[in-house]
Amino acid sequence: MKTVISSWLLFRLLFRPTEVFEELSETRPEPHSVFFKYVLWLAIIPPIFAYIGASNFGWRIGAAEPLFVPAGDLVVISMAYFFALLFVYVSTAIVAQWMAATYGARHSLGIHFALVTIIAAPLVVGSTMHLFPSIFLNVLVFIPTVMWSMYLLYKGLPIVLRISPERGMLMASALIGYLLVAAVSFLGLTVALLGRGIGPSIGV
Amino acid sequence: MFAVLWAVIGMSVGVYVAAELLWPTLDFGQPWLSFGRLRPLHTNGVIFGFGVSALMGTAFYSVQRTCHVPLFAPKLAWFVAIGWQLCVLTGGLSLLAGWTSSKEYAELEWPFDIAIALLWVGFGIVFFGTIAKRRIKPIYISNWFYGGLIIVIAMLHIINSLAIPVTLSKSYSLFAGAPDAIVQWWYGHNAVGFLLTGGFLGMMYYFLPKQANRPIWSYRLSIVAFWAFTYSYIWAGPHHLHYNAVPDWVQSLAVGMSLVLLAPSWASMINGIMTVSGASEKLKTDPALKFIVLSLAFYGLATFEGPMMAIKSVNAISHFTDWTIGHVHSGALGWNALITFGTFYFLVPRLVGASLYSVRLANIHFWLALAGTMLYVLAMWGAGVSQGLLWLSLDEIGELSFSFKDIMASMPPYYALRFVAGLIFLSGAVLMTFNFYMTIRGQRTIEVEPPPVASHRLST
Repeated sequence: MKTVISSWLLFRLLFRPTEVFEELSETRPEPHSVFFKYVLWLAIIPPIFAYIGASNFGWRIGAAEPLFVPAGDLVVISMAYFFALLFVYVSTAIVAQWMAATYGARHSLGIHFALVTIIAAPLVVGSTMHLFPSIFLNVLVFIPTVMWSMYLLYKGLPIVLRISPERGMLMASALIGYLLVAAVSFLGLTVALLGRGIGPSIGV
Repeated sequence: MFAVLWAVIGMSVGVYVAAELLWPTLDFGQPWLSFGRLRPLHTNGVIFGFGVSALMGTAFYSVQRTCHVPLFAPKLAWFVAIGWQLCVLTGGLSLLAGWTSSKEYAELEWPFDIAIALLWVGFGIVFFGTIAKRRIKPIYISNWFYGGLIIVIAMLHIINSLAIPVTLSKSYSLFAGAPDAIVQWWYGHNAVGFLLTGGFLGMMYYFLPKQANRPIWSYRLSIVAFWAFTYSYIWAGPHHLHYNAVPDWVQSLAVGMSLVLLAPSWASMINGIMTVSGASEKLKTDPALKFIVLSLAFYGLATFEGPMMAIKSVNAISHFTDWTIGHVHSGALGWNALITFGTFYFLVPRLVGASLYSVRLANIHFWLALAGTMLYVLAMWGAGVSQGLLWLSLDEIGELSFSFKDIMASMPPYYALRFVAGLIFLSGAVLMTFNFYMTIRGQRTIEVEPPPVASHRLST
């Protein structure tokens, strides 16, 4: 069984997802190789885009002029974004591995890392929109990308983890539950930090 | 069946008010079409029309199955069922006419409050009467949740509605100022808690194991969750009143209890997910189970988001924004509506002894419901966080940067998304209604005896 996944996989994912899933189901990647080869780099892209966008165009929240945040705060926010992404990434893989026992799925951590990488790929592509940080445009771009990611999750999970589509549906829904919670925690953490004075000047 | 009707009516009104927020002239200058009157019609229609009708129907059904006896006082049960529909209908019309007590989720005026109280007591008599004459000793967990719903809602409704009538259409609350606010949110939050969470958990605890065709994963956990839930929920109301004129310790206590609440809420979610995890084969043939599986994911989201938004530093930004509306709908659409749809897809064909008219339509409904909910939640998260930041933005000299009007002027794109989300969700509900109509057309309700009791479990 192969232990390395080729970088082509991510590109082919755009056009032939099923083929990619089938290939993945035949591999047994090492967690650290997936992490250092892909996860780290994919997770650094959105914060960089966000930093470039916010420093050049300001946050366009809606009303009147864009909101510019001091450069120092922007660095802190982008770093926090990076670490939060890494956390969600790793924790999702670990949660998926933990759930695998219940649904009789494959148990190796590496394959769960690879699966999460695949599912998150559209979101990384969507994060290009961070270059122009208008909240509404970002919401607009992320709605189809989130749907695409969910499609990959429901479709790919049973193939990669070698379980029946029905079990895959159950496990994918349980993972969606976790990811929804992770997303809303993100939101909560963000506003709590903004309330603490990191970011734009607000009167809390 | 009335629940389905109210679902469609209530959700249509919801979509209409969403459109009004986008195109304010949609009220055509008519007072009864104004947002202020239609909004309570929407909330009352879906909570009391759709939600309570569904809970009453499923409670009457499942209590007979789990107690192995027919209903106590069946005539009273019919009276409660029909009376409730009349009450929602006339109550809804009174809201359109502009009668309101101006208490959120308790807008109906005193004549309706009295009618609701009487009908609710009737509901309780039928329910607990049936439990009293049960043929097995244990009271199944779903009945604990339904029972909690009946007792707590009676208490909340009666106390919060205490008022001095002035005319037929106007009364004044017995409470004033801060105590009024505390009583109102003690009511408001626990209506969410014991009706939309507890009541529907009762539905889950009966219909999920039934559909999955296997016992609850951990019965012990379900009981622990029930008592922990009942104890901690009742304290959480004042988290709606952060940074207000209620004592600080009351606010902090509410935050604490809201956080504690996460544990029993999630215990029930885990119980549900684990129960269904071994029943994957059923998913091939049963469209109903899908709805319930997904509803558990949104239940997990909503019950986590709630305590998080109760934390003061989050609430400082999230309060008074559309994030709150998004939160309510992730619960109402994602959890309440989805689990009810799942239950109906299970129940309706069984009640008439026929198979569902179209599984394909039910599957389409599933994807419409998921897409509608996701779109709604994402749009409101975007709108809510924007509003929160903008309300509080300060300029160089420490003045507010933006006026209310400026901020609202930037909202139409989100409101357009929300309108589309509502339309998608509503179209799913219309498909379901058509599906049920075709299923029951020309059929008669079948009469069944309650299931027999295994001899070793007889209580007498």
